[in-house]
Amino acid sequence: MIKKYKHRSWHIVLSPLYMGLCTWVFVLVAWSCSSSNCPLESKVTCNYAFYDSEGNAVTYADPITVTTLLPGTKTVYVYRKLGYITETLDHRDESLIEDGYTESVSEVRRDTVLINRLSSAALLKVPMSYYNATDTLVFAYESLSARDTIYIHHDSYPYVELPECGTHRFHRLKDIRCSNTAAIDHVEIVNKTVNYEGKENVKIYFNGVAE
Amino acid sequence: MREKRMSRSISMVWRSSLLLLVLMFGMKATAQEETPQPTPYEPVSIEEPQMSFFQGFTLSADLLGVGQWLLTDYGTLEAGLRLNLKNTYFPVAELGMAHCDVYEPNTDITYKTDAPYLRVGFDMNLLKDKFQDNRLFVGLRYGFATYNFDIAGPAIVDPVWGGSEPFNKKGISATSHWLELALGVQVKIWKNFHMGWSIRYKRELSTSKNNYAKPYYIPGYGTTTNSSCWGGAYHLIFDLNWGKKKRGSIKLQTPPDVKPADAEAVESEDAETQETQSTPNNSNTQSTSNNPITPIK
Repeated sequence: MIKKYKHRSWHIVLSPLYMGLCTWVFVLVAWSCSSSNCPLESKVTCNYAFYDSEGNAVTYADPITVTTLLPGTKTVYVYRKLGYITETLDHRDESLIEDGYTESVSEVRRDTVLINRLSSAALLKVPMSYYNATDTLVFAYESLSARDTIYIHHDSYPYVELPECGTHRFHRLKDIRCSNTAAIDHVEIVNKTVNYEGKENVKIYFNGVAE
Repeated sequence: MREKRMSRSISMVWRSSLLLLVLMFGMKATAQEETPQPTPYEPVSIEEPQMSFFQGFTLSADLLGVGQWLLTDYGTLEAGLRLNLKNTYFPVAELGMAHCDVYEPNTDITYKTDAPYLRVGFDMNLLKDKFQDNRLFVGLRYGFATYNFDIAGPAIVDPVWGGSEPFNKKGISATSHWLELALGVQVKIWKNFHMGWSIRYKRELSTSKNNYAKPYYIPGYGTTTNSSCWGGAYHLIFDLNWGKKKRGSIKLQTPPDVKPADAEAVESEDAETQETQSTPNNSNTQSTSNNPITPIK
């Protein structure tokens, strides 16, 4: 049997006209399928997870307020009266003086509240400063008069995932320490890179053991 | 008297049986002589097409990349060199220069890069007829690019602690590796010129990390909105076939004038008939008339 080399169907498929048509279809499909892939969670936070002194993950029932110190100072007015609670205000209050309070004026570091009365939480998500080398976080507890202060040393850098997603500011943790240990036993860094992926960055070990 | 009759009849039976035997042997011998021999089968042989292993070089240029360069924010100038081995296997190297200058108006971010890239791999021609000038191929590529890019955007204001800083990073270096699967066709346009398109599935293997940005555009790979992407190419190809393929000739080896066995028998009988007619007293007439082979009419 003589085998003849016939590929008539391929002549159509391989024709320049067909090829050109396919190319344009391909280009149109490729353009029409382009999509945006920006991250859904784009808030960059340093994530603090709570543990007891033995390393068990816990929730902290007492409401926690986290305040951070800001650059610069502000004027505060402190009113004291024997047998009464001391009032600290950022403006002058003449009525308190008329009620017998004594007024003292001082310059203190500016601050702002980052987390307000968070209760029964296992994780804290706290933003970090873009241009400061150290962030100072003050932890105030509703049932404790004492406070904890955490100092975080870090680098910050801009990061662009895609031009259409905008610029984010990522951070790299360098060191962390805790003073005035009211409720916190110690802290440690577990993941130095702070971005929007939501990974745990710092472990906070509280005094005591969960029952 | 009776005994004589008996012996005569026995001798007659004996003679007749002997005559019958002689006749049978004679007929068998004649039949053996006259049986046509089977014609040995001589198949038509096709001489295998001859093709030298090395079929030359192929030079190609990607027109789609040039079009993208001219019409969009990014594109490539790319040339390829391919070896042609038996018109089936094509080891290939593609070297190109990529350009990207993207400005995103919604975020006011600019991304720029101009860098070379290299791909190496091979194509395989899937068509059965390797002698024809058209090709349908699948291929695999490994791509590599080491490049610098610039990225700039508006100043970022810290919403809590305050302060802002302009964002303009230049010369961020990166290295990327990727794989490509290609499927395409090529057709002969004129003499040694071919044209062809291919679609390519690209998968990013790795890209070095840096502190400032994920590369938006990898030279030779494309945009990095996903870890894999589709691409394409439209090639103008020039074949340098100095080891030009040679199609083997199909040699039809027809058998020598072999006629069917029956026809031969008919012929021989005809000849004998003619001979008999010419010499009616021929002694072979009886034996040929008893030929058991009957011609087909």
